[in-house]
Amino acid sequence: MTRFIMLALLVNFITISQGLAALSPSDGRGGVYEDLKWKALLCCELPFAQTLDGGLSEHPPVGQCQLLNATKPEFSKNCLDILCWLEGERTNLICNAKSYRAAAAASLLTIRPQLVVQMNVLSDETNHAAQCAGEEIAMCSISLHGNDANVSLTISISLNETTAVSPKMQVSTHHLRRPDPPVNLHYNVTIEGEVIFRWSDTQPDGYAINYEIRYSSNSSLQQWEMVKVKGRSWVTLNDLSSGIRYMVQVRCQSHFNYWSEWSQPFYFTLDVSYIPAEVFTTPGSEITVSAVFHNRSWRASKAVWMLNGQEKIPESQYRVINEQVSAVTVTVDEPGFDTLMCCHQWGERFKCIIAYAKIYTEGMFNADITCQSKNSEVDTMSCEWNKSAWAQVRLLYRQYTSMCETISEIEGSEEAEESMSLVKECPSGAGDHRECTLRNLSLFSCYKIWLEVEGGRGKVRSFPVYVLPIDCVKPSSPTVLEATTLPNKTLSVSWRRPHLPVYDMQYELRFVALRGMANTQWKVIGPLLEPQAEIQLEESCVQFEVDVRCRRLNGSGYWSDWSTSYTSVVYNRKAPEMGPDFWRIIQEDPVRSVTNVTLIIKQPVLAGDPYSCVEGLVFEHQASGRAVWSNETTLVQFHSFQWRKEAHTVTVISRNTLGISTRNRNITLLHQPKRRVVHSFSVVANASCVYLSWSLLSNHPVPQSFVIEWLDLNKDPEQDMSLTNRLQWVRVQSTSRDLSLCRRFYGSEEFTLYPVFVDGEGEPVRYTATRGDPAAYILLLIIAFLSVVLFVTLLISQNQMRKLMWKDVPNPNNCSWAKGMDFRQIDTMENLFPHSEGLTACPLLLVSESICEVEIIEKPHPVTLEHVKENEVLIYNSGDKTTTNSTLLADSSDPLSLEASTAAPTPETSGQSSVTYSTVLLSGQPSLHRKQQESLSSSSDEGNFSGNNSDISGSFPGGLWDLENHVCSDSANPRHSSSYNSVEEFSETSDQDYEASESTGVAKDLYYLEVNEEEKEEDEEEIEETQGEWEKNEMVMRVDARPLLEEKDSTAVDTNNISHSIPLYLPQFRTECINPP
Amino acid sequence: MYFSVLLYPCILGMLSLVHAIPVHPDSLKNLVKLQADTIILRIKDHNEKLKLSPKLLIGDPELYPEVPANKPIQGLGSIVETLSTFHKVLQRLPKGHVSQIRNDLFTLLGYLKDRMTSMRCTLKEPANERSLDAFLENNATHHITFGFLALDRLKQFMQKLIVNLDHLKSC
Repeated sequence: MTRFIMLALLVNFITISQGLAALSPSDGRGGVYEDLKWKALLCCELPFAQTLDGGLSEHPPVGQCQLLNATKPEFSKNCLDILCWLEGERTNLICNAKSYRAAAAASLLTIRPQLVVQMNVLSDETNHAAQCAGEEIAMCSISLHGNDANVSLTISISLNETTAVSPKMQVSTHHLRRPDPPVNLHYNVTIEGEVIFRWSDTQPDGYAINYEIRYSSNSSLQQWEMVKVKGRSWVTLNDLSSGIRYMVQVRCQSHFNYWSEWSQPFYFTLDVSYIPAEVFTTPGSEITVSAVFHNRSWRASKAVWMLNGQEKIPESQYRVINEQVSAVTVTVDEPGFDTLMCCHQWGERFKCIIAYAKIYTEGMFNADITCQSKNSEVDTMSCEWNKSAWAQVRLLYRQYTSMCETISEIEGSEEAEESMSLVKECPSGAGDHRECTLRNLSLFSCYKIWLEVEGGRGKVRSFPVYVLPIDCVKPSSPTVLEATTLPNKTLSVSWRRPHLPVYDMQYELRFVALRGMANTQWKVIGPLLEPQAEIQLEESCVQFEVDVRCRRLNGSGYWSDWSTSYTSVVYNRKAPEMGPDFWRIIQEDPVRSVTNVTLIIKQPVLAGDPYSCVEGLVFEHQASGRAVWSNETTLVQFHSFQWRKEAHTVTVISRNTLGISTRNRNITLLHQPKRRVVHSFSVVANASCVYLSWSLLSNHPVPQSFVIEWLDLNKDPEQDMSLTNRLQWVRVQSTSRDLSLCRRFYGSEEFTLYPVFVDGEGEPVRYTATRGDPAAYILLLIIAFLSVVLFVTLLISQNQMRKLMWKDVPNPNNCSWAKGMDFRQIDTMENLFPHSEGLTACPLLLVSESICEVEIIEKPHPVTLEHVKENEVLIYNSGDKTTTNSTLLADSSDPLSLEASTAAPTPETSGQSSVTYSTVLLSGQPSLHRKQQESLSSSSDEGNFSGNNSDISGSFPGGLWDLENHVCSDSANPRHSSSYNSVEEFSETSDQDYEASESTGVAKDLYYLEVNEEEKEEDEEEIEETQGEWEKNEMVMRVDARPLLEEKDSTAVDTNNISHSIPLYLPQFRTECINPP
Repeated sequence: MYFSVLLYPCILGMLSLVHAIPVHPDSLKNLVKLQADTIILRIKDHNEKLKLSPKLLIGDPELYPEVPANKPIQGLGSIVETLSTFHKVLQRLPKGHVSQIRNDLFTLLGYLKDRMTSMRCTLKEPANERSLDAFLENNATHHITFGFLALDRLKQFMQKLIVNLDHLKSC
């Protein structure tokens, strides 16, 4: 039996191998595809072997097999029903061969010899084979690995050692399944606004014959719209609304009438469609893009086209195709990538959607690619570029082994196609990135670097740059930096250059002093060719922060970063000699109930010797009853600690690497009452300086020193100005008692003087220096100056007015009432005014129409003048005599004399004017004359117009007012009488007239200055000249109105015969007298 | 030697304990606020660089509902759901675009998801995912305006999140 089977197998394999060569894979004859199965009927004739009785023959008999199209088997033969189908998703092909004898035997229950069925299956594509055998039935499975395949099938049957082999059968698995649904669903929009929906077949050409399309809005998936299409893979979809998301599916039907499954859904929303959506053009060419508004409420007439979302395209370039379609024509001049957006006007704004048309303009654009390489363990090169925000680019580069100049010349002359296999893309050069770092590159290779716009078919790219990385190296910073500040005011710096790149380097050095951190102004020195430098300084003992950087000496390259900062070491030969001077601020903290002490160190801290610089400070504390402790700091300006109100001594010590100072200053803080030693303390300030002076109480020990501190009160303490910053102080030697501080003061500083003793501080004394604003002083000066100017102006104007007023004073000799009168005689006056009561009782009124002229004839009275002189001396120089004389004068009711006596002690008062009128001009004493003239020339004028200046200076309008209101008032009132006696008011004579009108009554003759018409026109100088001439001739104009105003017998002067000699001034007025009732 | 043997398990135990301690709500609020503020500023910078005309109004709020425009905040679940949608949208942008904002958003999402886990909240499956996929498919090719719209709406959501940080306490 076994031998039999072996033989059968051998036959089968030989048959199969022959069949593979003879049959084409598509040959599927002998079977039919039906209901996703392949079916065939195989019938074989098996000659009955006669060897059962007669013994075995040498060759077993061979039967014949035939595939029948008939569905019913021939019962005379041994027939097999063959069935093949797919299991799963093209995973396996299963074939089953079943003998009809088996079925019959089962029904007839007859015992017959068994039919052995053997099936061989072979996949042509994968060369997988399967073999199976069985009695009356056989089932084989072959793996397809998900692919379609043509499978060969052979069956052999054996019965009683008789074998028959079937012809080779071919099964295509492609026909055993449903067709795949269409793919690549998409749509186009025509210029008319039609939506054309398209798809692609996955089947061989012509396999699908019918299609069905269904679509629905996203919200109502149950209501499908169905469209049937025959023979084409597109369809026009109508009646679609804008703004609605549609889902579309397609399925296809094969030749075997199998319908595929529905395709994957395709979603789309119609809003604005661009035709074309992408444009490829060349610089300068016109392009036209149309936009279809699917939204019916959007009108083409209101379309707004935007270039790159930034610039509105002029409306003159628009064209309305129809109500829903707008077109624009633009010309792009520069290569690159641009976009066109069609929006809809909505008030002042433009409503737009996401979609836009893309324009690729072929050519090369400038991307400003710059590269900087770094030479280190891994050589790198970072490149940066510019690009439009809209363009999606990638950075490409290629490495060459030739020189960059050669390559650029070659590539510039011919448009060589880039061998893309040599081109690399920077992995991080896409998207928003505008820089990319290439790693592991060769510094001495030439690199071509350029940008390429994605979607531009390789024809839209930037101008390439050819870079030799060694030419754009940014070296590493110099290292091992060392700097020393030397005593000879030199800063010595050395450093080590980076090993790579190997070319020669140049260096730049910068340094800044650490003293006074506010001043961070770096000083730069370079280029330096050696890795060391010596810098001359303005002062020694200063620490510096030093940086160095480097770059290529000859050729292109970049500066390295500045090296790590290094603080210079100060060279010292010995320890500092003395500690710094310092002062303290004591601040109470009421919240924490502690007292904080801040020490302010005088800056700069000097050690006294350039070879012993101070590098830091040591604060040594010693509190009563406690141990000594210390804090070591750098060169700080402040040092704070808490004070427990016990005796606390702080010593500040300078230090450097070689030791600490030995001569140090200390301070002792005491809580006990302080001794008082300062007697006085004053502060005087001027524009730029403050002068302080003080004195000490006697019998007190002299302090060790004084400290003067002050606060800058003009600065706002709320701001960052802490007390330590606002407080300023200065130490003064114990022998000093004053100090001049010249600096900027604000004028509101409070100065405090602290006497400092060895064992603590004395009681401080405070004084606030106040100084007004300088502007106020200037303002005051201006006001004073203006006052003087005003005063002078008033004087001049008064003088002018007086001239105008008295220009036309008439000569009384020309008056009708004075005809025949001799005005030189006092009797004449008495005759002229016989009723003196009326005259004295009534003020004079100016009668403008009376024009009189009086001629005054000179008559010298030397004796009288001497008497006047004596009288004057009495008035001015002798207090007792003055009193006597005043009494005398008062008795005589002479107001002028009275005023003179009272005004004499205070010459600034209005009494000065009184003096004027009581002074006598002596021609024989010119000095006195001049003195009085100088001192009184102004006051006499002032007296005329100033109401409060003199009793005799009542102004003319005042006189009128007086007349109206005090008509015929008491004649004894000296003020009234004197008011109208003023010579100045009624005469244009000079001041000498007033002097001449001395009220002593010495002169007896009456003079009047005759002024001719020509002289009236002369100025004041000429008058003075005239006066000079009169003085030579001892001519004195004496004017005194008193006799005119007094009662004839009422004065004591009259009794001593003096009154008769008084020269009288004859008033040129006609008065109306209203006698009191 | 024995000390070391005892010490290591202790340290490991403490570390595992630390890992298990959930982030304090206030700390989370601070973190979320900082991250949200950062994202807002980055978005402003990004959109300003585009230099789009201020007259442009890209995408009405009623348009493109797939990208949440004004979604209400009702607890951690809704926040995470919305942020996941935004993260998915940003992931569709071309390589290298808004990568930093994407990273920031991913970090923020991680914090919130951790918080949800510690609070035993149920993570919601994003709704209308298919619709979102279709939207991304159709529009991601116009990455500038697409990104502008998405980032603008993300900025609005971040601003709303900052004033609704109390919702981080509920699922």
